[in-house]
Amino acid sequence: MNASAMSPIPSLTAHGVARAFVSGRIRTNILHDLSIDLYAGELTLISGPSGCGKSTLLAVLSGLQRIDAGRVTALGNRIDEMGQRELERFRLLHTGFVFQGFNLFPALSALEQVELPLHYLGLPAKDVRERALRALEEVGMGARSRLRPTELSGGEKQRVAVARAMAKEPELLFADEPTSALDAANGQMVIDMLHRIARTHGTTVLCVSHDPRLLGHADRVLSMEDGRILSDRRNSPLAPSHSVNQQASSP
Amino acid sequence: MVALARKTLIYEWRRFLPAILAVGFAGLLQVLQAALVLGIFSSASVYITGSHGDLWVGYPGTQSVDQGRALDPNVEMRLRMDPAVTRVEPFIWLDGDWRGDQATGGVSVYVSGIDPRDNSLMFARVLDAELRSRLREPDGVIVDRADLDKLGVRVGGTAAINGHRVRVVGVGSGLRALGGVNIIASLETAARLDGDPASSGRPTYLVAELAPHTDAASVARRLRHAPGFGPYDVWTSRAFARRTVLYWMFDTGAGAGVLFLAGIVFLVGAVITSQTLVAAVAGSVREYATLNALGVGLPALRWVVLEQAFWVGALGLLGASVVGGVLMVIARARDVPVLLSMPVTLVCALLVMLLAAVSGLAAARALRRADPATLLR
Repeated sequence: MNASAMSPIPSLTAHGVARAFVSGRIRTNILHDLSIDLYAGELTLISGPSGCGKSTLLAVLSGLQRIDAGRVTALGNRIDEMGQRELERFRLLHTGFVFQGFNLFPALSALEQVELPLHYLGLPAKDVRERALRALEEVGMGARSRLRPTELSGGEKQRVAVARAMAKEPELLFADEPTSALDAANGQMVIDMLHRIARTHGTTVLCVSHDPRLLGHADRVLSMEDGRILSDRRNSPLAPSHSVNQQASSP
Repeated sequence: MVALARKTLIYEWRRFLPAILAVGFAGLLQVLQAALVLGIFSSASVYITGSHGDLWVGYPGTQSVDQGRALDPNVEMRLRMDPAVTRVEPFIWLDGDWRGDQATGGVSVYVSGIDPRDNSLMFARVLDAELRSRLREPDGVIVDRADLDKLGVRVGGTAAINGHRVRVVGVGSGLRALGGVNIIASLETAARLDGDPASSGRPTYLVAELAPHTDAASVARRLRHAPGFGPYDVWTSRAFARRTVLYWMFDTGAGAGVLFLAGIVFLVGAVITSQTLVAAVAGSVREYATLNALGVGLPALRWVVLEQAFWVGALGLLGASVVGGVLMVIARARDVPVLLSMPVTLVCALLVMLLAAVSGLAAARALRRADPATLLR
């Protein structure tokens, strides 16, 4: 991390990535020779009209989908070369996800939703409980940790989903349209939360959204259209986030 | 560990109820048909199970107790020479043609000639000393109460077996036979009723009692095939009863019928259960996909589905046991022939859990749809 503060090394890199979908005889190119570097401690927002390939880019960068050409490097690992098991293991150790639908198990309380993936990390039960409670406190859901999804509002559900994603303390956090199902206030709260996670934990946060309200809250905004990145705009300089990062990682 | 499978099962019990009912009914059907068939066919071995005695000695290769042939009476000497044998009793079994006083025509009967003394081995569990003593009357016979109408007689009435006159001196219960009517007589009476001069008076079986705490199987092995006594074979009473019941089950095709029905029940149960579980998996497929995105592998998710299948099986089994137990009590109270042994019950329980496991495996295939990439919109 200190090294990255001096000469920023991207935590997540795509180089010459191409991805196409074949439906019958029709081949549709979604991503065209796309290259991108993402940095730790930043919230990067990919925006663009629907069908521009932004969700596919997120799927490719997070190891949920394969690429046809190019390479994807995450935390120094070539995830495009990993097998299914290896990828699952990589995701378990290093990545968190927040989806548009909250995808919470109806039968589980907020605390159990967050604890569930942690168990698969092989942590002792005590650590699992502590980490889950800490994550829920961080998203302001500590007091409502015993409630089931039906007893929570949409915003609260998404905060539980964010807690579930960050409790693993991932280096990479991916969010796909995290605010689309939320009203303005809750959407604001969730994006602020993602931003805070990037700043305080030095996490690489990649968020895909066509919600224009989010543009002002990202450190960096990539605009996509037709499978290409049209513009790369920075709302805040790279250095400050890394200095924060440096503070966070030094004792 | 968060008990995802169990908590989902409890929280969404309505979703799982059809599977639990399917498993329960499949288990109930399996166990009840097994109990009925065993109940019906175990009456074929009533001669053995209704008697005391540890060993049965009969003609070699006898497949069922009703197929015995006359033995060399000297075999009795061979048995008595063994130190473990405390008592030997002859048993005569023969076919007969019954002609009653009333217009019932001829009835095919099985005549059992037994030692009528108070403490004898044969039918010791079915006939009390009082009934037994009446057999000492020459030409006296005992029939099952339920067979009186079929035979067209009353207690005290007379009839003819193989042309010889007999008198019904009493009625018992638990004597009903498969494929005919059981008639109990003394050894002397039975010998007189035997129309075949070649076998007349010779025992069909010898029943032996062993000293307490003797291993019947090893004594049976020891006594088997001794030279110089004519052809005979020795079985433990348990093995011979089992041999008889199995012979009847498979000779009549009933056993094949049971297996066929069991197969159908298993198939229908598995189809309903697996479809219900598939629906349950499909209902949570987005949540499973999210877990997969977070790095929880497909094998771990498969375990969750299998665990659900296990609980569905266990709950179905519990329901089937309770209802089955109640039905068995009702059946017994109404003289419906039902019989369940521990091994058969365990096999049924095992089949039910196997059904649940197969359904779980089938349902786990639905997890293939839990592709996290489909969550991205």
